[in-house]
Amino acid sequence: MQGREPGSKLTLTAVLAAMGPGLLAALAGNDAGGIATYSSAGASFGYGTLWILPVMALLLIVVQETAARCGCVTGKGFASLIREKFGVRLSALAMGALLIANTAVTISEFAGIASGLALFGVPTTISVPLTALVIWLITMSGSFARIEKILLLVSCVFLTYVVAAFMVGPDWVSVARATVTPQVMGDPDYVSLLVATIGTTIAPWMIFLAQNNVVDKNVREDGIVLQRVDTVSGSVIACAIAWFIIVTTATVLHPAGIEVGDAADAALALEPIAGQWSTILFGAGLVAASFLAACVLPGVTSSAICEAFGWERGADRTWEEAPTYRGIITGIIMLSALLVILPGVDLFDIMMSAQVINGVLLPVLLVFLVLIARDAHIMGDCRNGRIWNILTVATIALITVLTVVMFVLQALGF
Amino acid sequence: MNYLSEMLKLPVLDVNGNKLGVVNDLGIATGEVFPHVTSLAFQGPGKTPFMISWRKYVDHVDESGVHLKACDTDVRFSFLQPDELLLARDILNKQIVDTQGLKVVRVNDLKLSSSGENQLRLLGAEVGMRGLLRAVHPALEHVAARIARAVGKPLEEHIIAWSYMDLLERSTQTIKLSVSHKTLDELHPADIADIIEQLDPRLRGQVFAQLDTAQAAEAISEFDDDELVAEVLEGMSDRDASSMLALMDPDDAADLIEELDYEKAEKLLRLMGVKEERAIRNLLGYEEHTAGRIMTSEFVALPATETAACAIDAIRELDDDFESIYYVYTLDPAGALTGVLSLRTLIVADRDARLSDLAYRDVVWVAPDVDQEDVADEMAKYDLVAVPVCDENRHVLGIVTVDDALDVIAEEHEEDLQIAGVGASESGSGEAPHMLTWFARRQYWVLVWAIASGVIAAVLDAAGGASAYVIYPMCAMPVVLLAADRVVSFVRNYFLEYDEPEDGGKPYLGFFLQTAGLGVVLAALIYLCGQLVLGAAYPDEVIAMASDPSFAPGVGSSGQVPAEVLQVQAVSISFACAAAVVLCCCLAAVGYLKLLFWRDERDLNTSGTALGVSAVLASCVAYSVAVTLLMLLAVCW
Repeated sequence: MQGREPGSKLTLTAVLAAMGPGLLAALAGNDAGGIATYSSAGASFGYGTLWILPVMALLLIVVQETAARCGCVTGKGFASLIREKFGVRLSALAMGALLIANTAVTISEFAGIASGLALFGVPTTISVPLTALVIWLITMSGSFARIEKILLLVSCVFLTYVVAAFMVGPDWVSVARATVTPQVMGDPDYVSLLVATIGTTIAPWMIFLAQNNVVDKNVREDGIVLQRVDTVSGSVIACAIAWFIIVTTATVLHPAGIEVGDAADAALALEPIAGQWSTILFGAGLVAASFLAACVLPGVTSSAICEAFGWERGADRTWEEAPTYRGIITGIIMLSALLVILPGVDLFDIMMSAQVINGVLLPVLLVFLVLIARDAHIMGDCRNGRIWNILTVATIALITVLTVVMFVLQALGF
Repeated sequence: MNYLSEMLKLPVLDVNGNKLGVVNDLGIATGEVFPHVTSLAFQGPGKTPFMISWRKYVDHVDESGVHLKACDTDVRFSFLQPDELLLARDILNKQIVDTQGLKVVRVNDLKLSSSGENQLRLLGAEVGMRGLLRAVHPALEHVAARIARAVGKPLEEHIIAWSYMDLLERSTQTIKLSVSHKTLDELHPADIADIIEQLDPRLRGQVFAQLDTAQAAEAISEFDDDELVAEVLEGMSDRDASSMLALMDPDDAADLIEELDYEKAEKLLRLMGVKEERAIRNLLGYEEHTAGRIMTSEFVALPATETAACAIDAIRELDDDFESIYYVYTLDPAGALTGVLSLRTLIVADRDARLSDLAYRDVVWVAPDVDQEDVADEMAKYDLVAVPVCDENRHVLGIVTVDDALDVIAEEHEEDLQIAGVGASESGSGEAPHMLTWFARRQYWVLVWAIASGVIAAVLDAAGGASAYVIYPMCAMPVVLLAADRVVSFVRNYFLEYDEPEDGGKPYLGFFLQTAGLGVVLAALIYLCGQLVLGAAYPDEVIAMASDPSFAPGVGSSGQVPAEVLQVQAVSISFACAAAVVLCCCLAAVGYLKLLFWRDERDLNTSGTALGVSAVLASCVAYSVAVTLLMLLAVCW
């Protein structure tokens, strides 16, 4: 590559510059579903689910690195690769899985917005239609970039969990022991929480986002090293924040016997640090993080589907040029908003079940990812090594087993 | 057997009916308008791939399979020829360019047609919905087609003929396509630019690399998006990029080079020829958005003493890249501009006529530091196709041609539209924004109104349980919001229609007086309206009680203030606040104007909508704070 800066030189500035997108993704990844899942995990089972997080960090690194590497080598999005390798039928399957998973997550984001605003006394029937309209306008006009930074900043309030974890003074020895010793309970709630944790940490949409990010920047094979730095730092930080959330909620809520049933309960965990402001802090963070994800998700989904089937896409295309692209976005937003407004829905329950759906559908997409990443025709010298293959397959197996166990336990009526 | 999707997975049977394998792929010869299928690839037992010649071995094809003429032991295997393509491997599911519809599409299926006994030809690629449904399942396509016909909108096939598609992937680039083939590089550069903008960045670079340098140069100057230009240039090797820039009109090249960072730009400039480098550097010496920057050095100027014949000969000998010769300029012995004559005058003139006799002496010219918008205006006024740019000694530096002037007008028009708040992002391509977006841009104040009212109610409630009184400030608030919005649009109009005077001074004082007067009138109007409402709604004695200064709230004879009195006070407070805020808003208008001029001088793009929103929000906050405090004073304490 003549005339191109040597991309593989690992200077400090280059490393710091590369760490950006991964960090942003890590912060954005702790959305409504994430907070809900981690809070319930801590409140219901104490330190019992901590062990899954180091495992998650490793698996998240594997998945994100693979996706970014595919993007570097081929210069194509994940959806394009699936279509070109597997044809129409299997891409329809993959895109169906993505559509369902992402719609579920979008629903949970709306639930997050609704329950966050409910902390400020705004009823669901007002907050949801209004935010749906605003989100729709933002995604349609492509002006998301302007408010992205503000939302990210506000959603940073979840970093207070890190401080909170130290302030509540947990028994660090037992925390450390719980982090490294896996434990399994036969409780169906416990198993479905594990699936939800996996689903929210390694969300299918993050695979697409990671790869699109690389493709849009046109990173070449010589940029893979820096991409690795980015994915590793991002993944570790994402899981670390999750870990602190569980530690905090487990220390504050679990001994008190509080089961997290809504956002107000979850906000209680921040009381030691923020006192009476905990509700406001938690509410603002929840709304901003959910709003952020709700703006990104419909676009990512629609873009992937249109990419796979060869329809025009992009926020700069009009309704006449890209009817399907805009139609899918509109459909997802409308459906999500409608489901959340339905009377009698339990918002916190929605957030959790969306993550379970995410977790259940994740293996479908991971199978495609691993098959593409190990294909010598597509990936050339950069195809998956043996360890990476084993780890991805292990992830798939782990989730599949957990899913089956979850359904069997539920079927047996525990 | 009309589609590739139906052919794939069919069994391959020899003359005795023995199954050799299943069809995997079809090879075609690329050198024809409707290419023949020349080879058959199939997968034998144990997934072993085989390839045989179609013409030699295939007898016929039907639903039951591909029937061969020979028995399995007589079949000889062949290899893929250099001019052959495999349909499933190279085209199916891949992105191609539809060079007729000027779009990038994905191939869902391939349509074949059988001709003669055992011949099969490729008709084209199916890129529509039907192909997609068929690939999922043929039954789905039938059902969908039937439903569509019943609804009255038959599902059309969307076929792109082989001769109108261009393959994008590099692996297929090496294949030589037939002469009749209309590929990307035969399109107009502006169309090429449109197509390239639809591609992923990587593919963009690859497609760009296969264009020849002259086309690449033309296409790159047609890109709408400056970032895209920089990206493509970064992706090319320095030598290619430099020779491409050298081929472009110097003014276009200067525009592009400015998008690059300093080091890259210097490197590219040093790599090109001395002449081009000097031309571009000269242009870069002038400030952006001036005549000097957009002029080209490709013009014809001759001594006035020459004859017409000499002038025509001189034009004949010019380089090819002197594209836009509309006028010949005449010079005196010192090299100063004396006259201009059009090509037509030159051609119909006597061969021996002197240029000085033919030329029109009253030449319109501009200085290099004149703003580009003024240059365009000048050209429009005098109906010129090109205008010369001269220094103070009337030496011709270059000319500004009509194509650049049109670009300038389009660009300025778009900026103006944006300031006017018509279209922020989408107006550039001339598309109407969606109706709801349009509505949201103008009527967003309703949302601001609702939220602010909610906040005021919450504060009143928290401070003294007087949330019922929110209704009064709420009624008056739209006046404030709409006035703020109107004031900003007044400022915008003033800015857009403002012609800068020669001395360059800004009309701030005059404008301030103007808006201040307007503000006073508006405020008085609002206040009077408030009084009118009061007078109509409440009896006079209540109003008198409310306005009586000795009547302090809360210290009535019985210690109870009649509710009506409080209401009167609330109404008058609301309207007084509204009047005050509107007045302040009008006084602040000069600040908005200053901001617009300031941003214009620094060539920052200003969105009129954003300016309007901030003004509305600012006045909303001012009004809410003032009215809440006063209400609390009057009603609660």
